[in-house]
Amino acid sequence: MSTRREQILPEVPSLTSLYGQAVARSARLMVRRPGPIVARLPEISYRVDDVRVDRAQLAAYQHLLGEAGTDTLPAGYVHVLGFPVAVAVMAREDFPLPLMGMVHVANQVQQRHPVHADDVLTVRAWAQNLRAHRSGTQVDLVTEVGQADGLDVLWRGVSSYLAKGKPLKGLALVESADGARPARADGRDADAPLPAVTASWRLGASTGRRYADVSGDRNPIHLSGLSAKLFGFKRAIAHGMYTASRALATVGPARPDAFVWDVEFLKPVLLPGQVAINLTPAEGATSYLGWDPRSQAVHFAGSVRPLP
Amino acid sequence: MPSNSSPRRAAVIGSNRIPFGKAGGAYANATNLDMLGAALSGLVARFQLQGERMGDVAGGAVLKHSRDFNMTREAVLGSALSPQTPAFDVQRACGTSLETVTAIANKIALGQIDSGIAAGVDSTSDAPIVVSDRLRRTLIKLSRAKTLPDRLKLVASIRPGDLAPVAPDVAEPRTGLSMGEHQALTTLKWKITREAQDEIALASHKNLAQAYDDGLFDDLITPYRGLVRDESLRSDTSAEKLAKLKPVFGRGLGEGVATMTAGNSTPLSDGAATVLLGTDEWAAERGLPVLAHMVDAEAAAVDFVRGEEGLLMGGAYAVPRLLHRNKLVLADFDFIEIHEAFASTVLTTTAAWADEKFMVSKVGLPPLGKLNPAALNVAGSSLAAGHPFGATGARIVGTLASLLSRAKQSRPDGGPVRGLISVCAAGGQAVAMILEAA
Repeated sequence: MSTRREQILPEVPSLTSLYGQAVARSARLMVRRPGPIVARLPEISYRVDDVRVDRAQLAAYQHLLGEAGTDTLPAGYVHVLGFPVAVAVMAREDFPLPLMGMVHVANQVQQRHPVHADDVLTVRAWAQNLRAHRSGTQVDLVTEVGQADGLDVLWRGVSSYLAKGKPLKGLALVESADGARPARADGRDADAPLPAVTASWRLGASTGRRYADVSGDRNPIHLSGLSAKLFGFKRAIAHGMYTASRALATVGPARPDAFVWDVEFLKPVLLPGQVAINLTPAEGATSYLGWDPRSQAVHFAGSVRPLP
Repeated sequence: MPSNSSPRRAAVIGSNRIPFGKAGGAYANATNLDMLGAALSGLVARFQLQGERMGDVAGGAVLKHSRDFNMTREAVLGSALSPQTPAFDVQRACGTSLETVTAIANKIALGQIDSGIAAGVDSTSDAPIVVSDRLRRTLIKLSRAKTLPDRLKLVASIRPGDLAPVAPDVAEPRTGLSMGEHQALTTLKWKITREAQDEIALASHKNLAQAYDDGLFDDLITPYRGLVRDESLRSDTSAEKLAKLKPVFGRGLGEGVATMTAGNSTPLSDGAATVLLGTDEWAAERGLPVLAHMVDAEAAAVDFVRGEEGLLMGGAYAVPRLLHRNKLVLADFDFIEIHEAFASTVLTTTAAWADEKFMVSKVGLPPLGKLNPAALNVAGSSLAAGHPFGATGARIVGTLASLLSRAKQSRPDGGPVRGLISVCAAGGQAVAMILEAA
């Protein structure tokens, strides 16, 4: 959308302070009902220049996720770098959906070129594609990361969020006309039997806190059972991107230099907990699936495939 | 069967290492696996080995956490090599990666594999800290205890002193002396002067700096975590600066006899190095150069426990035996690489090679003659580069193979161009190797 205005932020904002603002805003909205919310996204994109990699944080990220300790940034780490800029868009007063109530439902990353730890990066983020969903309103946050001295986008992420509840007025319901469900992100039919277990993750109660330490994402729903209860979860839940990034690390170097990494989050992983994992390679791509070994409920599904 | 009559010799095709860091420096947050993986990934990228199933990969570290039992295989799995590439771990103290080169080269020479990678790594910044033996035994019993009273009894038996962590150190288990203290005894015995040691140290820094300036390492090093050169390298050091340093080893040996300083002793370091080996045919099929061939190798060990020989004098035995077997003398070598555990190790080893009485009575072979100083560590060695224990052998093989190839190119019809390596190691051991330009 060419009408989008670019605003330069002096630095990558702090997620903790953005969450703080968002919580305060939600509290304000509870006390004082605003007028009707306009179903329109802010026509703005945020840009931050001179973004540099904190090498100690990168090492801690690589160790936690099981990525190789090289100078090439894991695609999930680039997400961590750019995520606060996208959150800043969602934390704006004129953003039509409540930041704290949104659920991350899907994520697609295009890793077009490897990003090196010495690269000085520019991050851009904006919101697009506000749409009605049968259980609420959905929106895509786009983040692009490139080298400061080049126009080429090295990495592009699209994070889809769902604000549950009544859809905002005036939005088209984006669903296939015949009502058929779209294929799951791992390419399997949702009714297909679960595949064989190729890995098993035992996620301790501290999983959310440990990922918060390396990602800076201290959303209270991930930190402890108590803080998660305040936001309506029975227990703390694992960061969706932790599970997807760990799946990506398990796919490992089989991924080519340029690839598409997809994930669909279906059911939160409660902590502590165990997740059954399947990896299936097929013609240069690898699909992955994570589910609860007891209830058999699928937590997430995705794939890593060469960039077309 | 002497290797010079074996059907084929393993080719050194190339190498890759990361710059070596100082303990607690640029690689303070890097594990052995991180560094080995980084050096290996650089090698894979440099020689286009993505998806390649190598015959075998041998690697190792001296200070190794028990969870890293399959470290080299893990590094392979984290690299772009085919996941069908097997790997194994080796440990021979500071000779570790000279031993991994030997192992891979031998498999190639025997026709068991036609390509392989030899590697080594070490971190003193991320050294494995273990719990005390008493605490460890108590914890093992605790995990087996069935009843609550049993468990409580075991927990109550833990004393505050048991909780002190135990870090690995460089002391010999059988003598309690550090390597430096051992070498101080040998230094005194061979009457090595402070000046001679500082001269070796100065040459190491100057030669390494010069080699960087000459671009020797452009094809041998992949920068890592912001480091582009070895962190211990001081191109601006001088004889005066080195002379000012106070001795740190041998201070108890008598008034004024201590000569070993932080300047002429190797710093504790972090780093990793890899070497690509194969048959000539394997290299030719991929359009890769052959820099040198591995001719032969020899390991030796001495009885330092009863004081019969100096701890780090293994090279005085390994090299003469290796040269004798290959009917060579020191003068046949254009390059001589002696690992600088300490400057004085180089001096005591070469003094022994030239000493007729020592050679005849202790080694049982004729003396090797005087060493040409112009052939010694011409691109610097461990004093300047640093010495991540497991990585040093592979660093030297990689550097020497390049030096040999360059020398051969400058005089193509001048007969064989040879290089000799001697690396001393803990436990009174040493590994020596001969490379010849291709």
